[in-house]
Amino acid sequence: MIQYLVSILTEGAIFGIMALGLNVIWGWSGDFDLAYYGYVALGAYMTLVLTIGQPTPPAQYILGLQLPYLVALPVAVVSSALMGLIVGLIALRHLRGIYFSIVTLGAVYVLYVMAGQYVPLFDGYNGLSGLFNPMGDTLGLDYQSYQYFFLGFCAFIFILVFIFMARVSGSRFGLALRSLREDERAAAAFGRDIYRLKLKAYVLGAAFGGLAGGLFAAYLSAFNPSAWSPIEAIVLYSAVLVGGRGNIKGVVLGVVLMIILVQESTRFLPDVPGQPNIVPALREIVIGLVLVLFLRFRPQGLLPEQRYIDRLPHDRDGAPKVDALPPSDSRTPDHSTPSARDRDQMSPRPIPPLPAPGAAAASPVYRPLDQDRPVVTPSVSAVLVVEGLHKHFGGVTAVDRCSFRAQKGQVTGLIGPNGAGKSTAVDLISGFKLPDAGTIFFEGVAIQGLPPHRISRLGLIRTFQTPREWPGLTVLENVLLARWDREQETLWRGLIGFRQAQRVASKSELVQAREILTEFGLDKLSNERAGNLSGGQKRLVEFARIRMAEPRLVILDEPMGGVNPVLGERIVAAIEGFIASGTSVIIVEHNLPFIERVAHHVIVMSQGLVIADGPFESLRSNQSVIDAYLGEVPL
Amino acid sequence: MHEVLLTLGFGLVTAAILSLSAVAFTLEYAVTNVANLSHGEILTIGAYAAYLVHQSTGSALLAALGAAAAGGIVALAMHTAVIDPFVRRGFGTMPTFIATLGMSFVIQNVLVIIFGAANVAYTIPQGAPHLVGPFLWTSAEEEIIISALGITAVLYVIITHTKFGKALRAVFQNRDLARVTGINARLVGAATWFLAGLVAGYAGFILAESVGSFNPYFGFSFFLITLTAAVAGGLGKPFSTMAGALIVGIALEFTGGYISASYELAFAFAILATIILVRPRGLFANARRTVFE
Repeated sequence: MIQYLVSILTEGAIFGIMALGLNVIWGWSGDFDLAYYGYVALGAYMTLVLTIGQPTPPAQYILGLQLPYLVALPVAVVSSALMGLIVGLIALRHLRGIYFSIVTLGAVYVLYVMAGQYVPLFDGYNGLSGLFNPMGDTLGLDYQSYQYFFLGFCAFIFILVFIFMARVSGSRFGLALRSLREDERAAAAFGRDIYRLKLKAYVLGAAFGGLAGGLFAAYLSAFNPSAWSPIEAIVLYSAVLVGGRGNIKGVVLGVVLMIILVQESTRFLPDVPGQPNIVPALREIVIGLVLVLFLRFRPQGLLPEQRYIDRLPHDRDGAPKVDALPPSDSRTPDHSTPSARDRDQMSPRPIPPLPAPGAAAASPVYRPLDQDRPVVTPSVSAVLVVEGLHKHFGGVTAVDRCSFRAQKGQVTGLIGPNGAGKSTAVDLISGFKLPDAGTIFFEGVAIQGLPPHRISRLGLIRTFQTPREWPGLTVLENVLLARWDREQETLWRGLIGFRQAQRVASKSELVQAREILTEFGLDKLSNERAGNLSGGQKRLVEFARIRMAEPRLVILDEPMGGVNPVLGERIVAAIEGFIASGTSVIIVEHNLPFIERVAHHVIVMSQGLVIADGPFESLRSNQSVIDAYLGEVPL
Repeated sequence: MHEVLLTLGFGLVTAAILSLSAVAFTLEYAVTNVANLSHGEILTIGAYAAYLVHQSTGSALLAALGAAAAGGIVALAMHTAVIDPFVRRGFGTMPTFIATLGMSFVIQNVLVIIFGAANVAYTIPQGAPHLVGPFLWTSAEEEIIISALGITAVLYVIITHTKFGKALRAVFQNRDLARVTGINARLVGAATWFLAGLVAGYAGFILAESVGSFNPYFGFSFFLITLTAAVAGGLGKPFSTMAGALIVGIALEFTGGYISASYELAFAFAILATIILVRPRGLFANARRTVFE
């Protein structure tokens, strides 16, 4: 009985490591990787060929170095990580969703076929064996005590892995990975190099798969193609899904339920005579059914991923003012209270008066631009210079040798009828599409052809026509993540840093984020998942993110789309705020009264061409603008 | 030259089966935007249904009809029980995709419980190989090719010349827009899956007949080749899928004949990965896609 328990716990620790590794790839980074079990298998094979002796014919396999187990294990981990790097470099470059999954499925089948068919590698279908009680001889353990020792060894490694994962989960790196899962475009727009980040997560996950494989090889003392199948990953997926994707405690719970419990409970079913396959088949049916049912009825799992909850002082009247910033799991709250200065800073900044409720229904009366805007002396230098920008799709020329410039400290409007090429121009400037020709200078630096995250890091950030929040993250996390910081976001800083570094944000950033949320009237929603907000609120979150990122130029793509007049006033105030804080603005818009009110300078595009350029007033009398866009509608 | 032609002949048989399987897969994809990972199991069920019918009646024709009927029913059940609830609730591509993988797991193991994991084989006479033009085919293989051509012609007429086919194409282009214009997307989805199931079930039968024996996992490994053909043709495009199947089927027969049959699967995936990376929209599309475009 005890021995049985020991073997279950050992298996549990090994599968726990496997599932935690998979959670990095699928739970956080969001990639459905079907190659994962290949990394486990490679780790197991490599551990075996490194520890066992030279093959005796007819057996054939590579290496056979008889290395000590503790040397072989890290080498096995590195080989799995390398294979993960190769697959990831190919598959993560352009592929997402099912295409990524299909290519990874292909990768693991190639490995499976190689392991099974190419005999000189791992002795084909015979597989490898002969790793008996590694470390046991050196320690002089008998069989019985070796079982306990190996359980202790696996449990120790499992705990180390769990602590590692807990730290990554709560770090800025972990949050950045989740932003990829939630919305990649937004992540790129705010400076994340998605390819590199995803690759890091993928290699990390593969390495843990290899580690678990190395332990598994020692546990089984042998490994061959009938011991694994490429689809084995589905069992691990069911564990991660049932427990709670992204939540490391949930993942462990999932392993206990889906691997240990399902496996062990079916073990006690009576054997059906002559039908040896029934029990394992039943187990797999249960796993498949649970997978489908959880996807359908509880996709977040039993323990949903917890988000960081910010307890603002004014949220909890009379309650202790806790400035807790632990990662969602496993850490005790930090009980330091914010200083009086912090609290002063958090007090709401007055927002420009909004129209009375009755007035909101009526069309707002737009005032001339300069009456109440903060005094800004428009600088004459250009922040953005576009020369000869050109892009065609098939036979359609979307942007036709456009040249224009936007001045520093000003609001530049970009208007034109539908299909004029405005949005394409925004995509070209921000790096989301590659121009066919032309140059783009941002503050004197040529940025054409750079990837979106590089442009964003230079200080040019764009928004999208429909708000692209990270729906599964809280509003506060959305705002905090708007600021990209190379230092803060490395994996190592999350792992080895002290308390301060472990946090997703520094205290000053947190204070600033709260202030910005208060300014936009979102403070009550700061712990809400951004995906639950209304369209207008999402729009405000987008503005709050820009405010947090403090770019030197922001391109707003149709910020007034679907926005009511009250919200419109807030947006006008926000744009004025950008200018006041040193962010130049380009606005793509159809709402002309709005453009007239906020823009210093307007560029008119039509059919890919810039047809006019100047202050709004000058455009009223411009015949080509009237023909192309303004028409006869009185302004 | 003679040997090349012989191999080409065998390749055409593989391609005929593959094109039916791949067309069925791509039709499923077209109406629900789901890459059905349990597609291979429809083939497996078709093969087993034909086996049962043939054992009790002894008629190859009835076996073929039984395979098609079983495939149709299973595909319709998949659509009703899993696919449609996921699609209707807007669960997105990935969860549905994962659910189909779970479904494949369930069906394989239900088949293991019912039929056991061992290989079974038909006792349908294949006929002696004889020369048909330059190719050496058995009469069973002849029937496979002729029936595949016939089914393809029927599918062509259904998709391009009927109101149902029009609705199907509309749903593929834009599901919501199709619904707004009064198309019952659920019904079109269910009918298309049923139709695809008929074709896939029959494909399972002729595949099992041509391979010789089968077991509960046999559809899944063929599915991986199906996937290669469907992606080569461009997902969701039935007719270029057939061309993809022709290319992949013949290519596999040549690698099987000239390199080694045991690496066939690995080779199929090498083709698949290359196509996805270089021409993600299929061999016959002319646009290259990146993450953001």
